[in-house]
Amino acid sequence: MASRETTVFGTINQTIVVLKIIKHYQEEGQGSEVVQGVLLGLVVDDRLEITNCFPFPQHTEDDADFDEVQYQMEMMRSLRHVNIDHLHVGWYQSTYYGSFVSRALLDSQFSYQHAIEESVVLIYDPIKTAQGSLSLKAYRLTPKLMEICKEKDFTPEGLKKANIGFEQMFEEVPIVIKNSHLINVLMWELEDKSTVADKHELLNLSSSNHLEKSLQLLMDRVDDMSQDIVKYNTYSRNLSKQQQQKHQYLQRRQQENAQRQSRGEPPLPEEDISKLFKPPQPPPRMDTLLIAGQINNYCQNVKEFTSQNLGKLFMAEALQGHN
Amino acid sequence: MSRFFATGSDSESEESSSADEITPKAPGATFKQSLLLSDDEEDTKRVVRSAKDKRFEELTNLIKTIRNAMKIRDMSKCLEEFEQLCRAFLKSKNIVDKEGVPPFYIRLLADLEDYLNQLWEDKEGKKKMNKNNAKALSTLRQKIRKYNRDFESEIAAYKENPQESADEEEEEKEPEDSGSSSDSEGEVSSKSFLKKKPEAPSEATKFLKSAKGSGDESSSSDEDDDDDDDEDWGSDQSGSSGETSDKEEGKTSSMSMLFLKKAQDTEKPGVRKEERKKKLKQKERIEEEAEEEGGEEAGGGWEKVKGGVPLVKEKPKMFAKGTEINTAVVVKKLNEILQARGKKGTDRAAQIELFHALAAIAAENNLGQGILVKIKFNIIASLYDYNPNLAAFMKPDMWKKCLDCIDELLDILFEHNNIFIGENIAEDSENLAVSDQPFRVRGCILTLVERMDEEFTKIMQNTDPHSQEYVDNLKDEGRVCGIVDRLLTYMENKGSTEEICRVYLRRIMHTYYKFDYKAHRRSLGLQGETKSEQDQEESEGEDSAVIMDRLCKFIYAKDRTDRIRTCAILCHIYHHALHSRWYQARDLMLMSHLQDNIQHADPPVQILYNRTMVQLGICAFRQGMIKDAHNALLDIQSSGRAKELLGQGLLMRNMQERNAEQEKIEKRRQVPFHMHINLELLECVYLVSAMLLEIPYMAAHEFDARRRMISKQFHHQLRVGERQPLLGPPESMREHVVAASKAMKMGDWRTCHSFIINEKMNSKVWDLFPEAQRVREMLVRKIQEESLRTYLFTYSSVYDSISMATLSEMFELEMPTVHSIISKMIINEELMASLDQPTQTVVMHRTEPTSLQNMALQLAEKLGNLVENNERVFDLKQGVYGGYFNRDQKGGYQQKQSYQRDQKSYQQKQSGYQRGGYRNQNQGNY
Repeated sequence: MASRETTVFGTINQTIVVLKIIKHYQEEGQGSEVVQGVLLGLVVDDRLEITNCFPFPQHTEDDADFDEVQYQMEMMRSLRHVNIDHLHVGWYQSTYYGSFVSRALLDSQFSYQHAIEESVVLIYDPIKTAQGSLSLKAYRLTPKLMEICKEKDFTPEGLKKANIGFEQMFEEVPIVIKNSHLINVLMWELEDKSTVADKHELLNLSSSNHLEKSLQLLMDRVDDMSQDIVKYNTYSRNLSKQQQQKHQYLQRRQQENAQRQSRGEPPLPEEDISKLFKPPQPPPRMDTLLIAGQINNYCQNVKEFTSQNLGKLFMAEALQGHN
Repeated sequence: MSRFFATGSDSESEESSSADEITPKAPGATFKQSLLLSDDEEDTKRVVRSAKDKRFEELTNLIKTIRNAMKIRDMSKCLEEFEQLCRAFLKSKNIVDKEGVPPFYIRLLADLEDYLNQLWEDKEGKKKMNKNNAKALSTLRQKIRKYNRDFESEIAAYKENPQESADEEEEEKEPEDSGSSSDSEGEVSSKSFLKKKPEAPSEATKFLKSAKGSGDESSSSDEDDDDDDDEDWGSDQSGSSGETSDKEEGKTSSMSMLFLKKAQDTEKPGVRKEERKKKLKQKERIEEEAEEEGGEEAGGGWEKVKGGVPLVKEKPKMFAKGTEINTAVVVKKLNEILQARGKKGTDRAAQIELFHALAAIAAENNLGQGILVKIKFNIIASLYDYNPNLAAFMKPDMWKKCLDCIDELLDILFEHNNIFIGENIAEDSENLAVSDQPFRVRGCILTLVERMDEEFTKIMQNTDPHSQEYVDNLKDEGRVCGIVDRLLTYMENKGSTEEICRVYLRRIMHTYYKFDYKAHRRSLGLQGETKSEQDQEESEGEDSAVIMDRLCKFIYAKDRTDRIRTCAILCHIYHHALHSRWYQARDLMLMSHLQDNIQHADPPVQILYNRTMVQLGICAFRQGMIKDAHNALLDIQSSGRAKELLGQGLLMRNMQERNAEQEKIEKRRQVPFHMHINLELLECVYLVSAMLLEIPYMAAHEFDARRRMISKQFHHQLRVGERQPLLGPPESMREHVVAASKAMKMGDWRTCHSFIINEKMNSKVWDLFPEAQRVREMLVRKIQEESLRTYLFTYSSVYDSISMATLSEMFELEMPTVHSIISKMIINEELMASLDQPTQTVVMHRTEPTSLQNMALQLAEKLGNLVENNERVFDLKQGVYGGYFNRDQKGGYQQKQSYQRDQKSYQQKQSGYQRGGYRNQNQGNY
């Protein structure tokens, strides 16, 4: 096991996987809706090769009895029949302005990784892709997080003991996209043929829309974070108050016992203190961590975006000055 | 007189009743008793009645309710009443022991059992019954089974032959009648109470009889008299009594009717029973009458007093023959009638008649105005007493009578200056006799009039406001006002200050809600169109405003009870507001400080306060004070219970929140329909004012994170409008306002205008104002102005500069107005622009942050909060509050503070916040 853990430090995608994912989103996803699918492939040396994928059908309310697992199995069986890699190596998901760090993702990735050690999740950002640069990222849960998830201990103490921060929750796995030579040739040819106007997308100067959306989402997360913190704050206050009470109670008891002893009476019977002072329910901290991770993600996005845009703006300014 | 009630036997009561000669009397036998006052007769009767009849009446009343409940299959009610009945029966045990079980009781038991068995068999019906009823049914069935065991034989007898058993009862009683006097009388009254309502007609027939007697038989023997009467009665009976009983069936409280109606076969004995009863009564009466006829010559003159049953001329016998009618006697008689007042079994209608008769006698004998006034007082009081229930309202004829009486009373009081009336005049110090001294009469005309006013309100409350009847009733308002006015003049001369205040308040209450069209026309400079109208105007006297002013000011100065003053102030404000005297109304409202302590007032005053506030708001709106209008209406409208708050109807609520009792109370508080404030108008005014305030505000604070709502209700309406999947042309008033708001949001004042002012809205709302045209003009102007403001707020970012001429053309406003509006906006820092005089343009300054910048600012603010919260957690970890501040004095927090005060240091703060880096530290600690 230990040796296999280190195996996945690079993934190789076949072009077909990328195209299929893009097509899937284009056809079914729109706006903030998310599309998901299964990745197929195999592990070669220390690389995970993703060679194929198939989408999950969109969930609708009316067919609640739809069995996802069975669907997957059937798909894979069918694929095996036509001699395609049928090993399950993870799943993919589209994202909306980089918002993917959520409890749902964590849970399903955990179950994947728990069952299939080498699973990854591919996050595809259609909006960035539409702006001219393909955005596809592979993530895995860190071993630390895996352990925490296994223990299901999301209390403040548990997380503290595990010493995990939002930075150490997910690890990104580098991606290499590999094409067959024929496709490479085709690409070259296409690039040659393409007009200049096709590439203008890259030079789009309008930034506010994207930024606004990002900020909006960021703000929502920050609000959530605030709430969580307030909750945690109340909890810790309650806890400390109770500690104090407990302490006082114990002291009083001790005094009384001392008095009794001096009078030669038997000491008071032991009582279950934990029953007297039920500790308040600690708020789960995992969500906070996830939110922090998400905020971090947004910030990265914004940073990336703004730095690109700044460059473009400077360029535009220079151009204007030149003219 | 009350001492009689304690006495058991007649002779005793008679002995003590009068100083005149006293002879025990046995009404069963026939003899003549000269000089026996008829009062005594009545007294004895009453005494006996109270002993036994009371019990029996209680029983019959209960039986009646049970029968009613049976009819509507209300089992739970039946059970309840039956339990009460059993208790009542136990209470009257000793009487029952003496008299035997009353037949009607047995009848009920038998019937009830039959009925229950029948219901029990009816499986279908039982299923349909609700749970409570079904439960009550089974309980009741068991109970009555057990209970009826005690009466088995009687019930069996009754069931065997209901007719006979009833007859037997009668026969049993017959001999008793002729036996001891007290017993027979008891019997009579016990029966007479059985048939309570028809008593009046029966009496009437009696009177008729006696009148006849006086004509030809006064000297004939009593024997004859009696026979004759019996015959007469017999022939009469079938006609009048049968008829009356039929007639009364539906509406009266006649108990025996129930038995009569019950079944065909039981009817007969019932009727016969009545006959007997009447005969018996008749017998007694006849004697007295015969006595009295001789002495009383004024027979013919009495007829006009009596209304009552058609064809039957009544003739009350009041005084024994030959009695000298003087004040003392009349007063005594009066007191005697009064004794019966408020007792069960007293026929209130008959009592009123008696009073009338007495008044006539007094007038006849010239006993002077004092006694007349006294009697009138009592007539009116008993008219009010007619309805035992507080919620019930007077019947129209009663009401008319009441008005007439009060009018007459006032007539007398005006004519005779030497009558003193007052509540504080003690009964013994009254001076009713004609003498040199002025009359002194106990009684309060003011209370009577107040009560009359309340009765009027009650009548109006209980009439369907959309019927012709309501209009007819409303016509009486004039008379009521007239009476109040007359009383006012009277009181001004005679009454104390408190009384004047009270009567003034009445007057105010009748004035404040009426719009003075006359004064309004005059203020507009229009003369009445025709000569006659002008005359009428002149004859009608001063303006209501002047009257209100005078009356209210008197109350402000003189009143010592807070309530009257409060009401007067509110009415005064209302009246001002109604006549568009906004500043007076507002000043008065502010000076009175009523807003602070109105919540301690009683509900009717609070309702008046609400009405006043609403009227004030509407007035402000008419005057174009949109903000004031909105503020005044906000409280009433925002609760969504305007209808209830204004006392114009009850909201549908479930019974948990309000039981039947409360509902009754609330119903009594309702304002009569003709005083209502139009709720749609109210809402429209509120919504339009909210629109005029809210839309520019929304446009100005589009990006403001902490934007507050001016009017929740308006927003609610907007949201409702947005939720509509398909937007058709507006139908209701609300939809119109929502559509107009949307247009205004775009600065499109023309569309807005057409939505607010069009034919539909005119007929629904605007035409309700007295100065509709002026209001509409004001409204158009407001719409133009606010649209201009909205336009500038919304679109200033797309303009570099805009010419004021264009704006004035766009919004059809004059240049100076546009100029002033824009200047105001600039001064208030709502619009970042400057005016360029030479070119007459507004030059925009780009200082408004873009939406992205706004967002960034918001984010920064939120982050600030987050940091603060995080610090608290950190503090807790350190165990020392404020530890962070001490530790990081030079660090980011201070900078953050300064940021919150001044947004310009945003960048700086950002860096400080980053530098602080404690979040990361903390996170690491988790």
